[in-house]
Amino acid sequence: MNAQPFTSESYSGDARERAWQDVLAGFGLQSLGVRAGSPAHATALSRLSSLGVRLGTLSADAQVLRPLPTRTGLPLLLLPVGNSTVLVTGGEPQIVPAGQVILAPRAADWQVQFQRGLRALVLSVPAEAFRGRKAAPLAACPPRVFEADGLPDILARTVQAATTALDRLSEPEWEAVAQSAAELLLALSGELATTSADSSSSRAALLQRLYATIERSIGSEDVSIADVAQAEGISERYLQKLFEGTGESFSHYVRERRLQRAWHDLANPAEAAVPISEVAYRYGFADSAHFSRLFRERFGLPPRELRRREADRQGQGALPSGQRGWPQEALVQLRARQTKSEPDTRRSVVPVSGEPDATPQTPARHYLPVHAQHVHWGYFSRSLKPLIEIASGDIVTVETLTQHASDDPERMIEGDAGAESVFHWTRTAKAVDQRGAGPLDASVFGRGAGEGFGVHICTGPVAVRGAQPGDVLEVHILDIEPRPSRHPAHAGRVFGSSVAAWWGFHYSEFLSEPHPRETVTIYEIMADADEPYAQAVHAYRWEPQTDPFGVRHVLYDYPGVPVRPGTVTPQTRVLEGVRIPLRPHFGVIAVAPREADLVDSVPPAYFGGNLDNWRLGKGATVYLPVSVPGALLSVGDPHAAQGDGELSGTAIECSMTGTFRVVLHKKADVAGTLLADLTYPLIETPDDWILTGFSHPNYLAEFGADGQSEVYAKSSLDLAMRDAFRKVRRFLMTTKGLSEDEAIALMSAAVDFGITQVVDGNWGVHAILSKRLFPDRE
Amino acid sequence: MTKHHLPATPDTVHWGYFSKTLEPVLTLKSGERAVIETITHHANDDYERMIAGDPAAEEIFHWSKDRKTLRRRGAGPTDGALTYGSGEGLGVHLLTGPIAIEGAEPGDIIEVRILDAWPRPSANPAYQGRFFGSNPAANWGFQYKDLIEEPKPREVVTIYELDMGEASVKALYSYLWTPQTDPDGIVHPTIDYPGVRVDHDTIVKKEGILSGIKVPARLHFGTMGLAPAEADFVSTIPPNYTGGNMDDWRIARGARMYYPVAVPGGLFSCGDAHASQGDSELSGTAIEISLTGEFEFILHKKADLGGTILEGLNHPLLENEDVWSVYGFSVTNYLAELGPDHQHEILKRSSLDNAMRDAFRKLRRFLMTTQKLSEDEAISLMSVAVDFAVTQVVDANWGVTGSIRKSLFAGR
Repeated sequence: MNAQPFTSESYSGDARERAWQDVLAGFGLQSLGVRAGSPAHATALSRLSSLGVRLGTLSADAQVLRPLPTRTGLPLLLLPVGNSTVLVTGGEPQIVPAGQVILAPRAADWQVQFQRGLRALVLSVPAEAFRGRKAAPLAACPPRVFEADGLPDILARTVQAATTALDRLSEPEWEAVAQSAAELLLALSGELATTSADSSSSRAALLQRLYATIERSIGSEDVSIADVAQAEGISERYLQKLFEGTGESFSHYVRERRLQRAWHDLANPAEAAVPISEVAYRYGFADSAHFSRLFRERFGLPPRELRRREADRQGQGALPSGQRGWPQEALVQLRARQTKSEPDTRRSVVPVSGEPDATPQTPARHYLPVHAQHVHWGYFSRSLKPLIEIASGDIVTVETLTQHASDDPERMIEGDAGAESVFHWTRTAKAVDQRGAGPLDASVFGRGAGEGFGVHICTGPVAVRGAQPGDVLEVHILDIEPRPSRHPAHAGRVFGSSVAAWWGFHYSEFLSEPHPRETVTIYEIMADADEPYAQAVHAYRWEPQTDPFGVRHVLYDYPGVPVRPGTVTPQTRVLEGVRIPLRPHFGVIAVAPREADLVDSVPPAYFGGNLDNWRLGKGATVYLPVSVPGALLSVGDPHAAQGDGELSGTAIECSMTGTFRVVLHKKADVAGTLLADLTYPLIETPDDWILTGFSHPNYLAEFGADGQSEVYAKSSLDLAMRDAFRKVRRFLMTTKGLSEDEAIALMSAAVDFGITQVVDGNWGVHAILSKRLFPDRE
Repeated sequence: MTKHHLPATPDTVHWGYFSKTLEPVLTLKSGERAVIETITHHANDDYERMIAGDPAAEEIFHWSKDRKTLRRRGAGPTDGALTYGSGEGLGVHLLTGPIAIEGAEPGDIIEVRILDAWPRPSANPAYQGRFFGSNPAANWGFQYKDLIEEPKPREVVTIYELDMGEASVKALYSYLWTPQTDPDGIVHPTIDYPGVRVDHDTIVKKEGILSGIKVPARLHFGTMGLAPAEADFVSTIPPNYTGGNMDDWRIARGARMYYPVAVPGGLFSCGDAHASQGDSELSGTAIEISLTGEFEFILHKKADLGGTILEGLNHPLLENEDVWSVYGFSVTNYLAELGPDHQHEILKRSSLDNAMRDAFRKLRRFLMTTQKLSEDEAISLMSVAVDFAVTQVVDANWGVTGSIRKSLFAGR
């Protein structure tokens, strides 16, 4: 896992103290309690390496820290920040100014008093961090304070720089940094021993040097006692005595180190291609059969088996954290092999006419039922053949399905011919194979065709006659009807699903075990109540699901994997008595983007897409800039309710049918109207205009058409806020004729900025501009 | 019930800072009410409309070569070589108070109910009975480094009039900030010190701006809160765990605010009143106006909090008829977390992402503690029924508000 943030704010009063002690215990520290009277407050950010090195920054109210009694591990490194602190050793206080380094053996008797608030960086290195390489015991040494100079300075700077970047370092980067810091600490600990007056400490320092000498010469076939003793200028006899004092003979120690280092190299995926015999030779084993035997005796498994297990573990290692879109490393691969969409073999509802008709007198009505031939799953594409062509002003009714229907197939799929057609997936047949903008052969993660790089079931596209790039498409929602269950046991009732998924905002910090976890909550939708609402039916923890093709989905990483009854344990007493008012809307309304053939449906952008704004319900309109001929309108991701933010990663996802009036505004006609210069989705409700800001307003252009995943790594609310600000300013200046200063004054006094979502790769901030502001201007 | 009246006078206000060292100007028992006058620190943007003829305002803002009624403005240095002025403008809000609540101790919660709020009329015969406010687009605004028209950068002050009959606000005129010289001879090239009188001979008024536009009134108090424990003088600009410059327009009539007590008596102050503001307070200020409010104070002792919505509360909480709102900040308690240089350090930490995370954590804790939800229930509910909004992006410690409707729980 990545850096772990901690704040006492997450806990209620009585749980705070314990949670904080747990954090400190991770460093081998404990607090003697905070000064009475001040409100208890504590935060920390820490990160743990695979070998147990822990680095972090602590800040909290004034308190006293002392070590948890233990005899193992290197001395703790404490770096007071901002304030000076008081180190008390055996009753003797010593003031330590900020910036100096405290090195304190864990078994010694000391306290650090942070009288003006605790702010410190801490590095904790266990003995195991060196894979069996010994660290000389320093139990008897008192703590020592170092000036920031020479080695202590280098260590301090390393620790400071690493803490600053703690949550940004990739896993391999962090491992390298943690190991370097551990090495530096080991070297400094040696100094602690050298400068100590008592003889046990000087013996420890000498041992430390001997260990280092052995480490350097471990590759030669015969490391002799004589050579090592000579290198340190001591007698062989004395060397042997020193080793006896540690309870281990010289030759045994050397062999142990050789085997440990060989283990390390064999477990390293980067060295998977190096023959085992060569690794053995590296560490002084000329006979590889002999090596294998020793290795097996020591570790209980042969070298080959270790390699196989490590390879498996690495393969799974990528899974639990999940990844949306292409992994950064795969972008190179993608660029080399430009993805093309498959030839479109879907059926049209009506033949698409080649030439424009005469404008009909009354708007025509169209109906687009949902089935496998009428959807595209997880991607938008300018190359899709339209199912239907409509004229400007026509009314089209579109059935849409939620991709989360498979979370409870009995309630949301079974008996429903349309849904069964789309979700149909057996060992031999999958009705809608491609799900997402990834490769059809699933060569990136192996999740399935399209790799789930994009998840939404979109109905469409619908072509609009005469639409050309530069025009604006008005999509007005006349009605939204939920899609009732067709299963005999639930007929007529309506259900939805909400997943607290790995892409949710909460996923990096759970309070309760097990963490992390994904939880699916099934809701019933009471659309006919006086005040329509949703209420939870049951919830279950996601358990690995094996899809009909045999792929195991440890996480919710591919859409439409049917959750089989019996594989999960539903809890029924969920959100009892809580009624969630409905806000039926469509999460996705999109025209096809121009930049790429296959575009991930998750990040919204200028073309609309996964806007996830609940204001896009009945009576609302969205205006979208057309960027390909025919516009190619698609609709999906229906939601029964959602809050601003969509925190857990999903709304109450519920299949619904929408009726839309679609009007084309030609480029030549929009000058001087609200739609002049529209380059982003604009939502209009009876009361408001809602402008949509994104972290990256056109991420396809910004990162290149092949860089679709970069947006996931680079989103921020600060950027989205800036985009929303710029869009409102432009809207007011262009369409309302305000000066820049008027626009800014109005924004501060009367425009509300809200958080649309923090889960769709390209994060959103919207601005709500009330129409009431302009009574005299219309 | 005793109803107290606390006028704004030089003796009842403090400027630009919260301080646990201030003597209370009024001490109330739990359950008592007080009418409190506040005066906007932007009144000197148009002296004629907002100060002239109002004896209290005239005296508070009085600043001549010989005499400056309120010398200290801000939590910064008050002597030595001053760049901007005493207190250095490290904190700008003119606050009335502090009011002590009898028996309040650290760990308790003080509830402040806003019963009513009304504007302070102009006392200048030329504008008698009318209400004016000021809205500077200032150097600390979100737009300042991102302007498109010349001259860049610039600060622009817009003067508004509030129509109480229509409950709306209209712009009167605006002007570009020009360097202003204060009576001590310090030149203020930008809005860098509060209460500097703008010499209207140095500015050019632009009339007819925002014509036809009516901003619906949202009368509220931008700054309300208790004295923090961490330092003697604390800038009023960054909001924090004891409240302060929250700049949420929902802190209006009908709202109840709950604040954790950090020092004995609590020491409540309020001011920074606004005629209207949008979520984000983008340009750095709202429509800053002088308001008088009627408040009721209720002390909730620590021992009585269990089982109420105040259990475990250690941050400001809003309750009104419809919602509970928690306030997330870029840095939850910047005084405790950022060390001795917190006033400057916080300026580097402004981030909506962190404020969103803080709001998420606070609301999760609130739902788990007070509504007895499991963590998974709380997270599901936050996704489908909680609205997160941008409170402000201009007060150094940026804010995100998370609001949940009380009606959700009617059936529990």
